[in-house]
Amino acid sequence: MDLAFSAEDDEFRDEVRTWLAENTPSERRPREGQAMRDYDLAWQRLQYDGGWAGISWPVEFGGRGLALTQQLIWFEEYARTGMRGIDARFVGLSHAGPTLIARATEEQRAFHLPKILRGDVVWCQGFSEPEAGSDLASLRTRAVVDGDELVVTGQKIWTSFADVADYQELLVRTDTEVPKHKGITWVICDMRSPGIDVRPIKTMEGGTDFCEVFYDEVRIPLANVVGVIDNGWSVAMSTLSFERGTAFTVDQVQLSSTVERLIEIARQRGLLDDDEIVRAFAQARADVAALRALTYVGISRNRRAPVPGPEGSIIKLHWADLSKRIARLAVEIVGPRSLALTDDDDGRWADRYLASFAHSIGGGTSEIQRNIIAERVLALPR
Amino acid sequence: MDLLPSSEQEEIISSAAQFLAATVPMLRTRELIDAPSNVDAKAWSSAAELGWFALGLPEDAAGVGCGLADETLVFREIGRALASGPFLSTTLAARVAAFGGDAELAAAAARGQRVALGLLGADASIDSASGAIDGDVQLVDAVDADLVLVAGPDVASLVAVGDLEGVESVECIDPTTRLSRATASRVRPVVSVSADVDPVYRRGVVLAAASLTGIAEATRDISAAHAASRFQFDRPIGVNQAIKHPCADMAVRAELAWAQTLFAALATDERRQDAEFHAIGAKVVAADAAERNAAATIQVLGGMGFTFEHDANLYIKRAHVLAHAFGDTRDALSRLIRLPAAV
Repeated sequence: MDLAFSAEDDEFRDEVRTWLAENTPSERRPREGQAMRDYDLAWQRLQYDGGWAGISWPVEFGGRGLALTQQLIWFEEYARTGMRGIDARFVGLSHAGPTLIARATEEQRAFHLPKILRGDVVWCQGFSEPEAGSDLASLRTRAVVDGDELVVTGQKIWTSFADVADYQELLVRTDTEVPKHKGITWVICDMRSPGIDVRPIKTMEGGTDFCEVFYDEVRIPLANVVGVIDNGWSVAMSTLSFERGTAFTVDQVQLSSTVERLIEIARQRGLLDDDEIVRAFAQARADVAALRALTYVGISRNRRAPVPGPEGSIIKLHWADLSKRIARLAVEIVGPRSLALTDDDDGRWADRYLASFAHSIGGGTSEIQRNIIAERVLALPR
Repeated sequence: MDLLPSSEQEEIISSAAQFLAATVPMLRTRELIDAPSNVDAKAWSSAAELGWFALGLPEDAAGVGCGLADETLVFREIGRALASGPFLSTTLAARVAAFGGDAELAAAAARGQRVALGLLGADASIDSASGAIDGDVQLVDAVDADLVLVAGPDVASLVAVGDLEGVESVECIDPTTRLSRATASRVRPVVSVSADVDPVYRRGVVLAAASLTGIAEATRDISAAHAASRFQFDRPIGVNQAIKHPCADMAVRAELAWAQTLFAALATDERRQDAEFHAIGAKVVAADAAERNAAATIQVLGGMGFTFEHDANLYIKRAHVLAHAFGDTRDALSRLIRLPAAV
């Protein structure tokens, strides 16, 4: 066991750091809409041109094919730039792309993968429905085969970036006569197809990149099915395991700098004389350190067993609890000025606090993570 | 960077676990509660022969030359097995003697001459220059011990029990631990070592965290086994999220505690500048994991958990003893906030 990175890895870190220092956008990211899309895609194009697109994707599919340790280094350095861990590029790079790599045909890959890497397109996810949340397999959006097309009617919800997306990884019910995990199909949906209606949902944080998507007899070519018709559940599951891999590393690493920045603010405001605040921040330091240590353990494990294990759920659950606690602590430090949603340092903490309520809901609720941990790590009965 | 044990380290883990299960199973530890000493003499001398007390000592000090990370593997098993006796203080005493220049004493401790752990009272102090101690001190597992290890962040000392006044044995919250009280009036150490020479206190922090992690893991496993096998209303109680989710939280706490303990041990072995930060972090996280997992286990077990007959109570009691070794959580947090950020 050792903590030190190899000389080669250190050299790689220098390379990453230099490139990020020279290329990270200096302008603030627009909050939503076309401007946000343009900003995120331009940033992806810059990474593509610099040779940093798809760092975890295999080289044969145009990615950088980095080893897990170097992916970690990339994410650690990326986090230091302060850029968001998840933006409009996320589904393409971390869900849909890896799923296409694992399950799509040559033609599908050749058409879609380069577009994702180059920053030509935004992807969104069409999984959750009003009646299918944690129980995703009970989804009802219906697709009927008509000639060489699927005709889709139904509704998806909680679809981030649907309003700016070109494509969607869409789960539809193609057979209603079989148990719910069967009869689901994973299909690539062109978001500009006739019959699609995207309605942004305003969140408690005020953002609107979260949408409902309605489908009224939307015609999708059968050639867009990934895997086999009615076998979409297994295709979707390969996506979910990516979601719990290294995708959240940037958020985890940024939590540590958030804590340090808050300690500095508390110091400047003379709040470090308050025992309760000292304890809360010291505890946060310990907990954030342990989160990183566990991330390292997870990477060490995944290097030996390439299929991500349920420890991803442990990291996700702890991160959600911890980041919510720290966001709450931040508004306490800022005090009454946190009430004003102004575009300055104090106001931004309030935004982060409001946004943090999503952390224990999105990407699998904390309750579902606890079920996964209890059933797969501790072998408790379902 | 690799935080998974190598095959040699896996061997250390499994042989330690097997040794403890064979020599001091819980039944034996319970027998020792009413014996004159809580140490199983045979197990203790075998542990010495296995090199447990010299594992982390450098080879030129007649040690085995392993790292702190290797020692954490053993201390995690000691915690998990609830083995009783001054393992931690004897191991660290060998270091104090070795790095303080008393090779003979170092060899004696490494051979298993028992050294107690001293816990300084709130008003007591250890002089960071001389290592002298002053004030009230509690002795942990001082039966058969002539020396007591008293350590602070700056200095660690071995003090003669005979130099203390009013040594009086008291009943400990943990029946598998022996406790006595004493007073020191500016007692000079037999030998001491500054943290600049060897960070004995920090090593104690990390090894205590390792044993606390062992407790967190053992109680997690007791809860999970009970949740899966105890039937009520014709179903295992573990199907209920009111049981299942606390068990999941135990798994989270145990994983975090172990990851951070290993990180801290390796940071110390590799002399990273943030080793102190990570060591304190490990103790904070592991003490929390041990206490809360043990407490939740008592709850999951129901009435059985409240009995003396079930082992759950022994885990939470030991967790409290270890939580006070090398600084309690309050002390750890106030030190942690003053350190520079981790690298």
